[in-house]
Amino acid sequence: MEFFLHILISGIATGAIYSLIAVGYSITFTTMRVLNFALGMWVMIGGMLTLTLNVMLGFNLLITLPVLVAVMAILGVVGERVSIYPFFRAGSDVWIMSTLAVGFLFINSAQLIWGHNPLPVPSFFGDGIIMFGPFAIFPQQILVIATAFVIFSLLYLFYYRTLLGKAFRAIAYSSEVTSLMGINTRMICILSYVMTSVLAGVAGFIIVPITFAEPQMGTVLGLKAFAVAIVAGLSAPRGILFCGLAYGALEALASGYFYTGVRDILGFSLMILVLILRPEGLFGKPTGERA
Amino acid sequence: MNTRGLRRTIWLLGILLLAMLPMAMSGTYYQFMFILIFIYSVVVIGLNILAGYAGQFSLGHAALMAMGAYTSALTSKALGTVPLLAQTGLNVWIAMIFGTVVAGATGAVLAYPALRVKGPYLAMVTIAFGWVVWKILLEWVSVTGGELGITAIPKARLGSFVLTTSYFYYLALAAVVVAMVLQRNLVKSEFGRRLKALKHSEIAAASVGVDVYKEKVKVFVISAAFAGFGGALFAHQQNFVSPDNFQFFSSVFFLLAVLFGGAGTLLGPVIGAATLTLLPELLQDFDRFRLIIYGCFILFTLYILPNGVAGLARRGATPLPDLAVTSGGDGSVAQVLEAPEVSRPLCQDSKPAPFIEVQSISKRFGGLTALNKVSFTVFPGEVHAVIGPNGAGKTTLINIVSGFYKPDSGIIRIDGKEVKISSMHSAASFGIARTFQTIKLFGDMTVLENVMVGFERHSSTRLWDSLLRTRRSRAAEQRRAEDALALIEFVGLGDFVNSPASSLSYGHRRLLEVARALAVRPHLLLLDEPAAGLVAKEIEALKDLIDTLRELGIAVLLVEHHMDLVTAISDRVTVIDYGEVIAQGEPAAIQRDKRVIEAYLGTVDRDVIG
Repeated sequence: MEFFLHILISGIATGAIYSLIAVGYSITFTTMRVLNFALGMWVMIGGMLTLTLNVMLGFNLLITLPVLVAVMAILGVVGERVSIYPFFRAGSDVWIMSTLAVGFLFINSAQLIWGHNPLPVPSFFGDGIIMFGPFAIFPQQILVIATAFVIFSLLYLFYYRTLLGKAFRAIAYSSEVTSLMGINTRMICILSYVMTSVLAGVAGFIIVPITFAEPQMGTVLGLKAFAVAIVAGLSAPRGILFCGLAYGALEALASGYFYTGVRDILGFSLMILVLILRPEGLFGKPTGERA
Repeated sequence: MNTRGLRRTIWLLGILLLAMLPMAMSGTYYQFMFILIFIYSVVVIGLNILAGYAGQFSLGHAALMAMGAYTSALTSKALGTVPLLAQTGLNVWIAMIFGTVVAGATGAVLAYPALRVKGPYLAMVTIAFGWVVWKILLEWVSVTGGELGITAIPKARLGSFVLTTSYFYYLALAAVVVAMVLQRNLVKSEFGRRLKALKHSEIAAASVGVDVYKEKVKVFVISAAFAGFGGALFAHQQNFVSPDNFQFFSSVFFLLAVLFGGAGTLLGPVIGAATLTLLPELLQDFDRFRLIIYGCFILFTLYILPNGVAGLARRGATPLPDLAVTSGGDGSVAQVLEAPEVSRPLCQDSKPAPFIEVQSISKRFGGLTALNKVSFTVFPGEVHAVIGPNGAGKTTLINIVSGFYKPDSGIIRIDGKEVKISSMHSAASFGIARTFQTIKLFGDMTVLENVMVGFERHSSTRLWDSLLRTRRSRAAEQRRAEDALALIEFVGLGDFVNSPASSLSYGHRRLLEVARALAVRPHLLLLDEPAAGLVAKEIEALKDLIDTLRELGIAVLLVEHHMDLVTAISDRVTVIDYGEVIAQGEPAAIQRDKRVIEAYLGTVDRDVIG
């Protein structure tokens, strides 16, 4: 039982990270029907910056986080300008390649700056264990799960309680009409990309003490998060939180009780299954199109 | 010498040159490089058919190549234990075919779910697929040899004659030539035309009967088979395969080769494959910056060469028409359309049965009821207009009859039989064709090609006929082109047969859409605001056109705001307001109907029409 709870908690913590990255796919898909194909690399940059700021330069977390968010936001603006804007709505999907190209630049730069080897980042609240009755939790795991809940709550408030958030959802329905209503759609596209980038950076920030910092740390995270986004439905942020957590738990249990190799194929198989049975995702609504 | 003959001569000279090249090369290094270029070309050609012509991006082709390579390697080793096969060398050839088939089958398993959703899903799913395959190759050590891969893969041979590097060169060269020919046949066939059409507008392609989903799965399978064949060649050339050969990066490399060479061009894939095979050789000293260089190369390609190297040559020039037709054959429009009046003459004395009966159709979007229990009928040879204020539900009605939406309740009968119109292409198979309020043409295709796509559902050409460009398929193409020309002349666009659809004026585009819809040989034609944006003269022409269709016995459902047109040509009018039928009858009666006047002008206390 203790073993079960232990891997369950660590699975949910990993799942929280999947959710944070997955909702990033959802945000730009909602506004522009565009995905950052290298989102995992952006997570990695977040992790690496944490390494530099927190470990190498010795800033505390209250300085590290704002600096990191600022850097990710700037990278987001530049990334959107370079890899999305020129190709967006050109009728072709070549932005798939340009976002990947930016990811390649990130990985190679990270290799040059930080080297190839995994570097440890200490947990933010030490390596002590908190005991909840019979089972033990690492403080970092609590932090990860709590962060996910906070961010998803903020996102919910943003989408449903602010005018800008409503504009995000409106643009998903009809960019043209939204623009006619006097909303700066271009601004919203940039903003959605920046939000995605910052979320990826924050995901990298909170997971790096668990995973170690290395240039490839985000690649697989990005893929699994995509599987989560598909299973939940790209248009369903709350579903993404639930599916991310559930998937993290499932994955941890599968590799805890069966064979580790199962873990990596699980997400892919679930994704294929969902695409067959319910292409819009478990929580998604079919997109309304007009002829 | 004409251009076609010239082009053929250049091709032959090129192949001949490549065939003689090994004699001029000392050492096997260059031969080896060329073989690699040829093998990658085969894979990239396959990807070009998918990404370049059909617009579907795959980033899993390295994994499909791995399927071909590993299957062929394992099968050839297993078959090598059968003495007869081992002596003749057949084990390798059978294995290569089997590898190709397995890769194609894997493609089907992957494409079936991934292509159910539009947009960038396919690319992401194929990335994940590539990663899973790579993982399996690493972990399933007992079969794949894990990290070390499979060694001592039998060489290709004919009897006791072993194809060493210098002979394998010819095999690989032959493979490229065959792949090029198949690519050309495919993209010039009606199948290729369907791909180009759905790349441009899936909705428009579906409206003329193209089963978009099926076509996309088909092209993915073909593309996967090319990749698998490339993989099989690779395995028996290298005699050694390992997971490292088929990493995600290779998949990016293949797609980059398509884009750099020129997506949707015949020669592009070879240019792309050659450049990207040689590039790493040149960059050996810069290995530290490899991904930065590739990243910049990708961005460079997308910014500076959006049409690729092969696209540069053709910039500015109009695309050459693939078919040159001068006359619409001797078939009259009635014959081309196989018009109801011609194909099944109606008894004069008995009242004809309606072609379509729509009974109590309702459609809701969330809380909004777009249509509420709408019923109407359209008879063969009848022009039935549907009018109503903006937002009344007219286009929703057309979308339901044309299979774009499914109704929430209600019944549709065609020729007296109850039917379910489950998709746009199934509507076409019931003989229902439509035009769109916002014109949806295949812009970069010619007027002729646009209409030819319309004949889709009458095609009996098999994919094999297209691939091999048999006489049967060519004859069918010729006849289709003649029929299309007859329709183009019928709508009055005879002067623009070989112009790209995007170059036409607005009014002409509307007419082209009608011609394309007519190619479905409809029994019911749905026209969604055909007069919108037309000048008076064009509206006159449209009126004559609809009159002719009526005489041919075609049922026409016309959604229109232009009341003069409606009154002049409609036999009956249905008026909808807020999703409900408020009046139905002859145009003159409708104009006097009190509820109709209220709907258009708001509630009035006294009779405005005195």
